[in-house]
This record gives sequence, structure tokens and C-alpha cells, in this order.
Amino acid sequence: MTDTAVSPSPSRAASLRRPRPVRRAIGKTLRTAVLVIATAWVLIPLFFMVIASFKSVPEFFMNPFGLPAEWSFSNYTRAWEDAHLSLTLPNTIIVTSVSVAVSTFLSALVAYGLSRKEKKFAAGFYTLFVSGLLVPVHAIILPLFILLKAVGLFGTLFALIVPYIAMGLPLGVLVLTPLAASLPRDLIHAARMDGATEWQVFRRVVFPLLKPGLVSVSILNGVWMWNEFFIPLIIAFRPEVQTMPVGIVSFIGSYSTEWGLVFASVVVSTIPVVIAYLLMTRQFQSGLTSGAMKG
Amino acid sequence: MAQRLKTRRQRYGHLWFVAPGLAFFLAVMIFPLVFAFGISTTNWSGLGNDLQFIGLANYAEILSYGPYYRAAFHNALIFLAIFLFQHTVGLYIAVLLNEKPRFMEFYRTVLFLPVILSLVATGFVWTLMLSPNIGLINPALQNMGLGFLASQWLSHPTSALGAVIVVTAWNSLGWAIIIYLAGLQGIPDELKQAAAMDGANTRQIFWRVTFPQLSPSFTALSVLTFIGTFRTFDVVYVLTGPLGAPNFGTDVLGTLIYRTAFGASSFSSAEIRFAFGVAMALFTMLIMAIACWGLLKVLRAREIET
Repeated sequence: MTDTAVSPSPSRAASLRRPRPVRRAIGKTLRTAVLVIATAWVLIPLFFMVIASFKSVPEFFMNPFGLPAEWSFSNYTRAWEDAHLSLTLPNTIIVTSVSVAVSTFLSALVAYGLSRKEKKFAAGFYTLFVSGLLVPVHAIILPLFILLKAVGLFGTLFALIVPYIAMGLPLGVLVLTPLAASLPRDLIHAARMDGATEWQVFRRVVFPLLKPGLVSVSILNGVWMWNEFFIPLIIAFRPEVQTMPVGIVSFIGSYSTEWGLVFASVVVSTIPVVIAYLLMTRQFQSGLTSGAMKG
Repeated sequence: MAQRLKTRRQRYGHLWFVAPGLAFFLAVMIFPLVFAFGISTTNWSGLGNDLQFIGLANYAEILSYGPYYRAAFHNALIFLAIFLFQHTVGLYIAVLLNEKPRFMEFYRTVLFLPVILSLVATGFVWTLMLSPNIGLINPALQNMGLGFLASQWLSHPTSALGAVIVVTAWNSLGWAIIIYLAGLQGIPDELKQAAAMDGANTRQIFWRVTFPQLSPSFTALSVLTFIGTFRTFDVVYVLTGPLGAPNFGTDVLGTLIYRTAFGASSFSSAEIRFAFGVAMALFTMLIMAIACWGLLKVLRAREIET
């Protein structure tokens, strides 16, 4: 196709130096086109969901993909009551924040405990925690259900918080243990020399130094806890103890044609994470990938 | 004596830091797992007290259980499609972004966005797009004069599985881009410059220098995709329901195990076999663990070679 291939043996160096502005411009346009198409593919569905959430039922069916003639917030006010977002939004916030905080803190403790590689137990415990990533929720959910009922947590938010804390540990330990092991030993020894107890060493020296890892782990676990669908689907039956994803799915049965209402609820359930993501894009991207790369 | 006590405390002092996490972990993950294995050796339906110990009969039954293979086959198709998509489109977009085009931050932010959205939200967004009556895709095709392509996307087995794949791809493209981008940014420029000095063209530089350097990203992404696609549940549940409609055309292991163990509306309660569902979940875990281990071994070996 190109002149280099057709013309009689031009030296490679010459062909590299020869300016080919037209070809370069076409290439650049094509590359930009790929990026624009991919971006549009991501944004268009989201855009139409937001638009749909502002439309009344008749308008939605008459004009599903134009801008709403009249921007109505009635779907949002109704979603707040009918889809029980007034209950499930605070639930989601409480469950996610408590679970993330406790799970991350416990992961940090475990990571410090396992960071001294010379201890025989460390490697075994590390493998045990990390293999938790493979445990299928489908298999453990009913025994868990029975257990939660037996200890009286069933029907409270703790029925979600306790499992989430435990299920956040594998990722937390996976990310934090290597980090804790890489902290400068001298710093910890110096603190011990000064008479600090193990707890003080952890709180004053190790915990602050783990901060970047703690942020990653919080994001990594916070995103799945906020979005988790299957566990509350089995464990939380009433809106009073449900989180948003399962709350939205379970109310749909009775309102299946009211798409505006459904999308208003989906938008509400999504906005907090999107805002957090836009504020801390870099931390989200590096935090989420750090877990993936280590696995 | 005091000395010995002190050294012992020093030696095992760290154990106390592991204890609280371990207690949660044992109570919520390990104990139920052992419990679940116990259940899987019975014929318990999940309701009532009627149960008998039947040994490994449930596991033996899985081996000749048609729906299990059908569901696993669908998982495998989804995996293959997503795998190819991520290592082609995902990699290509990462390479484009690595050249730092204008608005790079914008593209990157938007393309990763679906990763943080719940699969429930993703499922609903795409139900809207694909719906034959109110959707956007059919009218768009008609406007472009491609009306003959318009379809009841979620009602034909093939296109419904295709839809599940498209939605999964939409949701997971961001992973591929970010993981590959991180890999690309870790490659020292000197390597590429040296290759260019030796007279390699752009394509040669990519395949001989850049791509081999990306093998850790390739490994991580492949394993992540494998685990993600074989565990898929939410997308199918929201798009086509727990029966894997139409006619089980989108039935995956997640939905099969779910409705066997817990039932589904329009599913007779006589068909709920909790113990069998649990056996399928544990069996799948075992196979996936072995497959993951094999995959890692093969891919890591490849990393060392290059």
C-alpha cells in the first residue's frame, strides 16, 4: 500500500525520515475516532438513563429518546417513597461505611501481624485469608443465614455488615500485607527501643505508614459493598434492612412499566459512587487495579 | 523465667493482631464453608427437616447433569468473547491513551466509569437500550435504514447471550484499559528508543518490545476476566431473569445454582434442591481454583520466557 513497499528498495532510515503528513493525519483521525466511539458507547446509555428518569410514563412511551418536554422530578420524589429509597439509601451508606471502616482496620491489624515473614505461621495465615477470594457466596450464604439467625443478627443491618467485614478481609490482607512487610524495619525497632508496646507501634508507626494502602483497600471494598446484590437478595427481605441495588430490583415486580421510576432509583443509587469517583479518579483507578494486579 | 516469658510474648505478640480478623473470617467464611460441604452430602431441599445423608451422590449427579454443562458452556462463551475483546479493543485503547492524546484524562475517566457502577444499574441501563418497544437500538437501526437488523434482542437465545456479552464488555472494558495502561507506563522509554535506533518500525517495536513487556498485565487481566465471567450473576439476573430466559439460552452457572438452591418465581418449589445447588457451587469453586492455578502457571511461565 505505502510507497515504502512499492518503491525500489529505499533505505529504511530514509523511509522513516520521509514526512507523510496526509497519512499521519488520517491515522490521527482514525485513532481519535476509536476513542470517541468508545466514549460514546459508554456515555450514551448513561445519558439516556438520566433523561428517562425525568420523564412521565406517557411521555416516556411517546418519546423514549428525546429530551423531556418538561423536566419532572416526580419520579425522584416517588422513588424516594415508593421504591423505599428513603430507607435503602441511608442503609446503604451505613452498611458500606461501617463495613469498610472495620474491615480495613482489621485488615491492617492482620497485615501487621503477618508482616514478619520469619514467623512460621505468617505464610499459612496469609494463604488462608487470600484463598477466601475463591469462596463462592452461593455456597456459604445459607449456612450464613442460619448462623445470623442463631446469633440474633437476622433482620438487622448487622446481618449485612458482619459478612461484608469478613468478605473484605481477603482483599485487604492481599494488598496490605506486602506493604506492611516493606515498611522500614528500623523505624519499628526504634519505636520498640523507646519502650513502645506492640499496640503503640502499630497505632503510631505502622498504621499511618500504611495510609496509601488503606485508601486502596477502602475503595476496593467500598465499591463492591455499595453495589453488592446477591448477599442482600438472600439475607435482607424487608426494605428496612435492604441496600439500594436489591431494594430497586425487588420493587420493580410491581411497577414494571414505570421505567422513569426505575431509572430515577438507579440514578440515585449510582450518583454517590460517581461523585466519589470523579473527586478521586486517580485513587479509584489505582486502588482498584492494585487488587487486580496482586491477585 | 521472666526472660523466657518476655521472649515468648515477643515471639507470638503479633498473633494477637491477627486474632480479630481471623475470628470474623472463620465465623463468616470457613465455618459456613464446612457447613455447606456437610449439607452437600445430604438430599436436603432447603425447607423442612427431611434430610438424609447421601454421601457424594450430589457430586456424582453433577457429572451427568445436562443443565450444568449448558450453563458452564455459556460461561465459557462469555469468557472467550470478553477475553478476546479486552486483549484487542482494551489493549488498543490503552495504547492510544498511552500516546497522551488531547482530552486523555477525559477519555480515561469516562471509559473506566462503568467499572464502578453496580451490575444492577448496568443491567437496567441496557434493558432500556435493548427493549424492543422503548429501546434505543431498534429505532436507531431503523433510522439508519438498517431496520431489518432490529430484533427482540432479549427474546432470541443467540442475541440474548450476545446482549449479555455486550453488557459485560461494557462493564469491564475499563479494567482492561487501566490494567494495560499501567503496564504500558511501566515500560522504560529507552527500550523503545533502542529498538528504533536498531531500525525497527512502529509495528515491530510494539510486537517485539512493548507487548512482551506487558505480559504481567496480560496475566492479571486474563485471570480477572476468568473469575469474573465464571461468576457472572447480576447481569443475567437483571437482563433475562433467574431462569436465564429465553429457554435457558442465557443460563449461566450463577443463575443455575441460584434457582436450584433458592428457587425462582414461576419455578415450582418441588424443583428446589438446596443441597444439590450447594454441591454445584462447591464443585464449581474447586474446578475454578484448579483452572485459575493452571492459568496462572501457564501465563507466569510465559512471562519468564519473554
